[in-house]
Amino acid sequence: MVSNALTKADFIKTSLRSYFLQNGFNYGNYQGLGYANMLYPALRKMYKDDDDALQAVLKENIEFYNTNMHFVPFVTSLHLVMLENGTPSSEIRNIKMAMMGPLAGIGDSLSQFVLAPLLGTIGASLAYDGLLLGPILYLLGMNIVLLIVKILCGLLGYNLGTSIIGKMTSEIEKISNVASMIGVTVISGLAFNFVKITTPIQYAASVPGTEEQQIVSLQSMLDAIAPNLLPCAFLGLVFYLIKVKKWTTIKLVLLTIALGIVLSVLHIVA
Amino acid sequence: MQITMLQAVLIALWTGVCLAGMLLGIYTNRCLVMATGVGIILGDPVTGLAMGAVGELAFMGYGVSQGGSIPPNHMGPGIVGAIMAITAGVPVETALALSIPFAVGFQFVLTATYTFATTLSGFATRALDKKNFRGFRIAANTTVWVFFIVGCIIGLVAALSATGLEAVINLIPGWLSTGLTVAGKMLPAVGFAMILNVMAKKELIPFVLLGYVLVSYMGLGTMAVAITGTAVALLVFFNQNKAAAAAAEDEEVVFEDGI
Repeated sequence: MVSNALTKADFIKTSLRSYFLQNGFNYGNYQGLGYANMLYPALRKMYKDDDDALQAVLKENIEFYNTNMHFVPFVTSLHLVMLENGTPSSEIRNIKMAMMGPLAGIGDSLSQFVLAPLLGTIGASLAYDGLLLGPILYLLGMNIVLLIVKILCGLLGYNLGTSIIGKMTSEIEKISNVASMIGVTVISGLAFNFVKITTPIQYAASVPGTEEQQIVSLQSMLDAIAPNLLPCAFLGLVFYLIKVKKWTTIKLVLLTIALGIVLSVLHIVA
Repeated sequence: MQITMLQAVLIALWTGVCLAGMLLGIYTNRCLVMATGVGIILGDPVTGLAMGAVGELAFMGYGVSQGGSIPPNHMGPGIVGAIMAITAGVPVETALALSIPFAVGFQFVLTATYTFATTLSGFATRALDKKNFRGFRIAANTTVWVFFIVGCIIGLVAALSATGLEAVINLIPGWLSTGLTVAGKMLPAVGFAMILNVMAKKELIPFVLLGYVLVSYMGLGTMAVAITGTAVALLVFFNQNKAAAAAAEDEEVVFEDGI
C-alpha cells in the first residue's frame, strides 16, 4: 500500500537527482535507468516495507526514456504526485511519455541552442582578451540558471499537477523567444569578429594623366563596399550548404580546411 | 616545453572530470572550460584561454547532432589543441585545425562507449528480478564512471604524447602551417552557421543584421552587443504582449456586436 510519506523536501531532492539522469546512459534505453534511479529514494520511502511493489515500479520505469535533463524534474514530480494519488500505472506512463518530446524540445532549445551559445560567445570573447572571468562566467552562469530551472520545474510539477502543462509551455516559449533574439544578435555579431578572412591581392593601376603607378588593394575596395564582406560571403556559403545541401559537419570542416590551405597557397587569402 | 608527470596526471584527471560532466549536464565538457584548465595546469593560462575561446566558437554548433551525423567532440581543441598550442607554441588557429582529426576520433570513442553501455540495461533488469536494488543502482551509475575513465585515458595519452606531437608539428612545412592558420581563422564560420541554422527563424533575420552592424560598422564589444540585443528583444516582447491584449479586446467587441 502506498503511504503519503513524501514531503516537499523529497520532491526537491528528486529534482536535484536529475544531475544523475544520464549516469546510466546507453543506446539501449537511453535515460531509462537514470529515470528510475532519480525516483529511487522517493520510491523507497513510499514503499518502505514493500519490496515487491518497489521492484514492480522500478521495472516499469527503466524502459526507454529520453528528454531534457534540466526539465525532467517536472515529469518526476508529477509522477510521484500521481503515484501518491493512486493513479493507474498505465495512465502515469501515458503522461510521462507524452511529455518526453515537448520537454526535450523546449529544454534543448533553451539550454543548448539559446543559453549555451549566448553565454558561450560572451565567455569566449572575454577569454580571448585573456580574462579568466570568461570561462568562470560561462560555467557559473550556465549552472546557476539550469539549477533554478531544475528546482522550479520540480516545484511546478509538485504544486500544479497535470493541468498546467499547456500554460507552462507557452510561458517558456515566450522567455525562450526573447533569449533567442538576444542570442542571435550576439552570435551574429561575434561571427564577424572571429571569422577572419582577408585578401592580400593588389594590383598596380596607372593614375590617369601621369606616369605614376598606384597600388590598389582589393581588400580596401571590398571594405569600401561593406566591412567584413569576405567573412559574410563565406558564412553565407556555409549556411547554404547546411540548410539547403544538408552537408554534415565533417564535410564542412574538411571543405573549410581544404579551402583555407588552397587559397593561402595561391595567395588569394591571408 | 616538457610536460611533467604530475602535470600529465592532472590533465588526465581534469579530462576525466570534464567528460563525466557531459553526462551530469554541468557544461564542463566545453572547449572553453577544458582548454582553460589545461592552460592553468601547464602554467600558461593566457594561451589556454585563447585556445578555449577559438575552439568554443568554432565548435559551438557541434553539441547538436543532426541527421545521425557524428559531430566532432570538444576534447579535440579543448585538450589536444590546448596541449599543442602551449607545448609546441603553434598559433591557436593552427592548433584548432590540427586538432580536428582528434575531435572526430574522440566522438567515435564516445559512441562506442554508449553502445557498449547497452549491456547495463540487461544487468539492471536482472538485478531487479532478484530484488537486488543495490545492483540496480550500480548499473544506473556506471556510464558516468566509464566516461570518467575514458576521459582520464584520453587526457593522459594526449599529455604523454605531447613531445611526439611537437615533433610531428615541427615537420609541417611552412606553406602548410600558414594554410592551416588561415583555415583555423575560417573554421568558426562552420560553428556559427550550425548554431544559426538551429536558432534562426525568419523572424530573427533582423537580429542577424543588427549583430552585423553593431560589430562590423560600430565596432562594439560583446557586452554592448548583448545589451543592445536585449533592448530590442524586450521592445519586441512588450509590443507582442500589447498586440495580444489588443487582439483579445477586439474579439470581445465582436462578441458584443453579435449579441
